[in-house]
Amino acid sequence: MKLTIEGVGKRYRGDFWGLRGFSLDLGPGVLGLLGPNGAGKSTLMRILATITRPTEGRAAWDGADIVAQPDRLRAALGYLPQDFGVYPNLNAVEFLEYMAAVKGLPARAARGRIDELLTLVNLTEARKRPLGGYSGGMRQRIGIAQALLNDPRLLIVDEPTMGLDPEERVRFRNLLSELGGERIVILSTHIVSDVEATANGIAIVDGGRLLTYAAPEDLLRQVEGRVWGWVLPSGDLPAARERWKISSTVRRADGVHARVVSEMPPPGAKPLAPSLEDAYLHVLEAHRIERKAAA
Amino acid sequence: MSNLRVLWHLIRADFLERVRRYGFLMTLLLAAGLGYLVSVGGIKLWIGTARGVYDSAWVGTLTAMVVNSFLSLAGFYVVKNAVERDRQTGVGQILASTPMSKPLYTLGKTASNLAVLGAMLGVLAVFAVVTQWVAAEDPSIHLWPLLSPFLLLALPVMALVAALTVLFETIPWLRGGLGNVAWFFLWTALMSIPVANEGKTPDLIGMTLVAQDMEAEVDARFGDADRGFTLGHISNEEEAQVFRWQGMNWTPELVLGRLSWFGLAVGISLIAALFFDRFDPAKGRVRVPKRKRKGKEKEETALPALPEHVTLTPLAVTAGAFRFPGVLAAELRLALKGQPWWWYAAALGLIIAGLTAPVGGVRQIVLPLAWIWPLLVWSPMGNRESRFGTGELLFSAPHPVGRQLPAVWMAGVLVAAVVGGGVAARYLIGGDFAALASWTVGALFIPSLALALGVWSGSSKLFEAVYLFLWYIGPMNRTPELDYLGATGRGQPLVWLAATALLAAAAAAGRRWQLYRD
Repeated sequence: MKLTIEGVGKRYRGDFWGLRGFSLDLGPGVLGLLGPNGAGKSTLMRILATITRPTEGRAAWDGADIVAQPDRLRAALGYLPQDFGVYPNLNAVEFLEYMAAVKGLPARAARGRIDELLTLVNLTEARKRPLGGYSGGMRQRIGIAQALLNDPRLLIVDEPTMGLDPEERVRFRNLLSELGGERIVILSTHIVSDVEATANGIAIVDGGRLLTYAAPEDLLRQVEGRVWGWVLPSGDLPAARERWKISSTVRRADGVHARVVSEMPPPGAKPLAPSLEDAYLHVLEAHRIERKAAA
Repeated sequence: MSNLRVLWHLIRADFLERVRRYGFLMTLLLAAGLGYLVSVGGIKLWIGTARGVYDSAWVGTLTAMVVNSFLSLAGFYVVKNAVERDRQTGVGQILASTPMSKPLYTLGKTASNLAVLGAMLGVLAVFAVVTQWVAAEDPSIHLWPLLSPFLLLALPVMALVAALTVLFETIPWLRGGLGNVAWFFLWTALMSIPVANEGKTPDLIGMTLVAQDMEAEVDARFGDADRGFTLGHISNEEEAQVFRWQGMNWTPELVLGRLSWFGLAVGISLIAALFFDRFDPAKGRVRVPKRKRKGKEKEETALPALPEHVTLTPLAVTAGAFRFPGVLAAELRLALKGQPWWWYAAALGLIIAGLTAPVGGVRQIVLPLAWIWPLLVWSPMGNRESRFGTGELLFSAPHPVGRQLPAVWMAGVLVAAVVGGGVAARYLIGGDFAALASWTVGALFIPSLALALGVWSGSSKLFEAVYLFLWYIGPMNRTPELDYLGATGRGQPLVWLAATALLAAAAAAGRRWQLYRD
């Protein structure tokens, strides 16, 4: 089970490159794809899900080119797009039966699978209600269920926790971690805590390019000794933001407690244990400084 | 901000959003196509055997009558998505949270619709000049005789179409395909009733107005006679008696009469405001089944808590194998889901009528009725994915072109075969194999047309409009050239079979294009 991505790029109309020179080799495990909005994450997802073709480069599933032989990958794929719709007059069971048929699942196997998935996504009680009456979160859970229908060996989920309540989000993260043991899971998100909880490999993307690919612990090592806790008067915060990369702030009685990612500490700041969010911001910042310097 | 300013920005934003879409170009091309047909003599206007010199008055009126006769039908389908687009994009809910009133919104949408239709009129006005130039019978362009028919004959019609479109979009049961069908029959009535009543009923399209003026001129020139008014394809040009028509004599009464249609359009827009739900999702059309248990309503979203750690059993079978019957059954169920019981009852009635009615009636009435009844079952074919946003889910499944699309098509064929099954059985029992061949071609042709138009347009409207027109002109009005189901007994099944193959290929090509269009 191997997914190979070699120099993949996608050019849209107006000569805009949504993705450029992206290369990665993936085996079983959860890949967390992190990046700001418009970084190229969804473009990569769509290419890997065979929804769109790359303008340059090549991607292969178990050695088979996904452009020349897309159906080999599709047979093993579970895909949850960022934006998707459902047929409002169908209920959950009917919709999943429909998707199971389209994915080539035998009817008998589909029935058992649907029951299990509806339990998994906590929709058993709402199974007979038309999807048109579902809330955003319930609809997202139906999306998750359809992605898992065919027991995919490659699971691609784009912003999967969007609209889920905190409890559902924790359960879904746990499920992803478990699924990642024996298949390739690609999780695209801009919520660092989702990746922190599940991924054993993290790719950070910005401006359509892969900035870094590393294990979470390696990323954390990159930022070790560069994260500082700093207490400052709230009135000084705007000026401090201008000068320092502040990853988070909490207001307390003694002032604002800021978390700063920097080579040198602000005056009076104390070192802190780095988080993945600090590492992510550090990588993005370093890349942007490099780009500015190059320009 | 004054209401006028709100109205202006509503119209402006809506108009800009439309003109920057690919569909607007198609709209202008449709207008250009009509204009071209007029300019090359494909559509002419005759009073009996007489026609006017192609000067500004004649060409302007001829083009305006073409607008009123054809664009009034098509224009509805072109602009009918102004409210729906706001609903789909979510902009509607943002607008609903502003102080903007409902009448202001519906008036704005009417005006925006009119702006789009007006742009089409503009294209046709340019073509009117081209027509006069191509005919080369009178080179001098006179602006008022040329443009006044557009302003006083065509624009009021477009205003009414624009307002009726908004009304249809605000009434829940007319919002979808049923409204598209209803418009076709309403349009047929608007066209034919004033002509049949010889101007005694209000004449929206102005045909009797123009006909009376022209007839008076022809009578004065060639003697009093009973002459018909023909607008369409006329080939016997050499028999034409040519006269110079001075153009409509626009008296204040006539002008006021025509302008009053604008008032009606405003009135209809205000009525639409009464039906407008202000994008309240609670007033949607999805039916939630009634609970069987009486008593307290259970909280819908309060679902039971589950353990934090969940597992998934590995699947024992392999997915992805070709299981066509399963996909076909799923597509058939999707196509028929939501049809009320009376739809099936009427379909059953048509099957029985096919088996029991007199042979002539079966061919000329029962079969055409049987194959208009599932119109709204066929029309979502090929566009359901774009309409409901399920494209990425379906197109990432194995063989989206080779398996799912043929299943959609076959489901449409099965619907045609079953609803028209009584007629087929009758042909078979009677040994009428020629009719059975036509029937078979018809059953294949209709879903192919639906699929091709659905895939390429991304909407059900195009098929609904084209098929209704074809059905009305072909089988219902016994036009052999357009008889795709053998109602006249003089159709050409081989031609329709070839068209079927082309349409099926176009549908497959369109789906491939959809898959990789970026």
